[in-house]
Amino acid sequence: MTQNIKQAGEQLIPTHCSYCGMQCGMNLRVDVKQNKIIGVEPRYDWPVTLGKMCPKGVTAYQQTNHEDRLLTPLIRDDASLKGTKKGFRKATWEEAYDLIVKNFQTLQQQYGKDTLSVFSGVSMTNEKCYLTGKFARVALQTKYIDYNGRFCMSSAAGGMLGSFGVDRGSTFPWTDINETDCVFLAGSNAAECHPTMMFRIWEMLERGGYLIVVDPRKTPVARRADVHLDLKPGTDLAIANCMLHLLIRNGHIDEAFIEKHTNGFADAAAYVQAFTPEHTSNVTGVAVEKLERAAEIYGKAPNALVMFARGIEQQHKGVDNVQGYINMALVTGKIGRKKSGVATLTGQGNGQGGREHGQKSDLLPGYRKITNPQHVKEVCEVWGITPEEMPDAGVSAYEMFELMEKKEIRSMYLLCSNPAVSAPNLNMVRNAMKNLDFMVCCDFYLSESAEFADVVLPAVTWSEDEGTVTNLEGRIIKINRAQRPLGDSKPDWKIQVEIAERLGKGKYFSHLKTAEDVFNEFRLATKGGTADYYGATWEKIESQKGVFWPCKSEHDKGTPYLFLDKTFYHPDGKAVIHSPVYRPPAEEPCEQYPIILTTGRVVFHYLSGNQTRRIPFLQEMCSEPFAEMHPMMAKQYGVWEGNKVKLTTRRGEGVFKVKVTEAIRKDTVFVPYHFGDEQSVNLLTIATLDPKSRMPEFKACAAKMEGWT
Amino acid sequence: MTKSVLYLELDNCIGCRSCLAACTQCGGHDEKYRNYVVDVNPLVDTQTMPLMCLHCVNPACARSCPAQAIQIHETGAVLSARVEKCIGCQNCTIACPYGIPKFDVEQNLMYKCDLCIERTQHDIPPMCASVCPTNTLQWLTKEQLAMKKEQNVLDNGKWIASSDHYLENETNVHISLPGILQKKQKLF
Repeated sequence: MTQNIKQAGEQLIPTHCSYCGMQCGMNLRVDVKQNKIIGVEPRYDWPVTLGKMCPKGVTAYQQTNHEDRLLTPLIRDDASLKGTKKGFRKATWEEAYDLIVKNFQTLQQQYGKDTLSVFSGVSMTNEKCYLTGKFARVALQTKYIDYNGRFCMSSAAGGMLGSFGVDRGSTFPWTDINETDCVFLAGSNAAECHPTMMFRIWEMLERGGYLIVVDPRKTPVARRADVHLDLKPGTDLAIANCMLHLLIRNGHIDEAFIEKHTNGFADAAAYVQAFTPEHTSNVTGVAVEKLERAAEIYGKAPNALVMFARGIEQQHKGVDNVQGYINMALVTGKIGRKKSGVATLTGQGNGQGGREHGQKSDLLPGYRKITNPQHVKEVCEVWGITPEEMPDAGVSAYEMFELMEKKEIRSMYLLCSNPAVSAPNLNMVRNAMKNLDFMVCCDFYLSESAEFADVVLPAVTWSEDEGTVTNLEGRIIKINRAQRPLGDSKPDWKIQVEIAERLGKGKYFSHLKTAEDVFNEFRLATKGGTADYYGATWEKIESQKGVFWPCKSEHDKGTPYLFLDKTFYHPDGKAVIHSPVYRPPAEEPCEQYPIILTTGRVVFHYLSGNQTRRIPFLQEMCSEPFAEMHPMMAKQYGVWEGNKVKLTTRRGEGVFKVKVTEAIRKDTVFVPYHFGDEQSVNLLTIATLDPKSRMPEFKACAAKMEGWT
Repeated sequence: MTKSVLYLELDNCIGCRSCLAACTQCGGHDEKYRNYVVDVNPLVDTQTMPLMCLHCVNPACARSCPAQAIQIHETGAVLSARVEKCIGCQNCTIACPYGIPKFDVEQNLMYKCDLCIERTQHDIPPMCASVCPTNTLQWLTKEQLAMKKEQNVLDNGKWIASSDHYLENETNVHISLPGILQKKQKLF
């Protein structure tokens, strides 16, 4: 095993990156005398990433001691300054807590318990995610809690639940990717969004395997694909249905597997009859030969993985897209064995763990449902409340902003998220935040969303606290503390305990004195649930290099592969082959708005950019958004590389620099979403929600364009 | 020479610039990156490639230096200019056919890749190859390199990658030319 270099006076703290679901292993270099993080060193022995890091990971440590860190609570007395950086004054924790408690209590007396809301995120540990759900329901006693996974993972979750009866993002460990024979990758720019899995994909190709990529853009991963299905944004379901049609037509289905382990095949087969390659080509713009070749390769592959990401999920039919692509694995039986299976590429660091344990409006720890009385009873026993005290299910993230507009919600406690950049239809969302009676924001920087707050609480970064995260494989891993909290900053779990105490709820929270205390209560709360973490102690996570859930007891080593016994999690043990009905994007190009606008990430930034836009190297590489378009489109509008264009939709407008490339469809413009204020492309995006996952359709809307000077 | 060598598979590059970010993290690098990534076909596609010092056996940069400021380490690594010797003439920045040496005006000093000599002299991989998410940059033992060459020499009579013949110079860094997947025997 490769050794690390160690400098005198330094300690290496093994941990993981703060950013995406890959959760790359890294060592933080700590100056022991100063107790200060000063750099990074590869973690060669982490089995998933072998020391590899993307540019965000390499520079992640620079967040901790950054000059923009919030070191004390901030209070703003003049509400007319909301939406700006102005008017904040430094305050003590006591003063900030007093103000929060006074406002929360007054509002709840006047307008009822549910006038408060909690908006959370999943770029934080399981301990924090778990406690946030308890904080909302037990300390604040509100039903309105939801989180930014609604803009990220909720369609994958809904799709997997529907097909398999369980939502674990991957049915196999990532170390299988280089060993399979075919990767079918839909709606994922893995090279930019999950770069450290790329060496496995290339190794698969070097072994003679096949790569099929479905994407409107010829991204760096699509560049090397054997087949690139360059579809029109928002038409994925037609591709998925066509693949099923062709697998059946070509005789590449596993009839015994379908018969024994699935339901719904006959209906699906009948439905996809209409999705001939010719019809699908008309809908999607992809050549007939490519569709046929892709299905032939996947069908013939001895082992194959179906993988997908936000490209198919951030649509108003995201759940159906997921189930459509999962059908490929179910009809061919390429699931429930090694080197075959299905995975979503989780976007946020703890996108997996963070959605399982009660931050979602209708969920409780262990993937329990708040609408199931037995589940509520089980969690109440751990929490020490009665089932009558448990609030009902609330609404999804975007819908909370709609309720703020209607004054049904008058206050928000925001943490670990920056919806003033990441939510769709931002003119509405920013307005809703501005008109709140009282808003609290916990963050370690003054984000665009913090600019709408009355009180800002300084949280710690990931490197100043410890706890667990569940990576995109479903592997529970350990984040270690490398430095004491900077200034007066505190971990979110501690802030919530202290607010709860001041709200008179100390008896439910005061026993939680360390992150490990929270973890141990959390383990108990998940016991017997679908996402059972009970057996995953911190010691086991350290010694095994992660534990895959479910892990039900001290002796259980965890579950790297799902469904090896061909038993799915629906009551009859079978998977469901759905028949998702095709429909176009909510907004299609028209005479007035003739262009398809799509959004996504670049390799240099993470989510709303609140963290990465402050890192000098990342800013040097990409400091502003751009409108990526084909040279033919650029010529048609009389613009070229470096010129500016104004893009307008029915909801908003923005001016962006032109980036010309032939690696995009001629009818589509791509703009990355990591930027704030007037640079946010989410001013333009559409908020039509998936009926099941409540995911907005970030990936396709209709726009018009004009040159801008 | 060390047990291992730097080996490049250019076709793998996705343009993430992780190698640049990592370069700034090496102890002796003054937080300045010393390798580069170029867009091969700007305005056309996403093909990129890293531009690395190849650590020539008889390097043009050192030959062009009137002050013997560029020394060659016993491992073969061509080091950055020595502060006390560099006269700031910038000959090397032009002599190098790959444009690797750069000039720091403030310090009146040339700087270039030293193959993370603090690391590689102990056979610890350089930062760029340690982090490269795509295996474009690899730190291989001589045996692994021999296997790579065998794999990548293609038997179609026309195309040869990883030729034993050096393109420009004899170098300590080895390159597999783009196209390593061409005519690859597929699994099925």
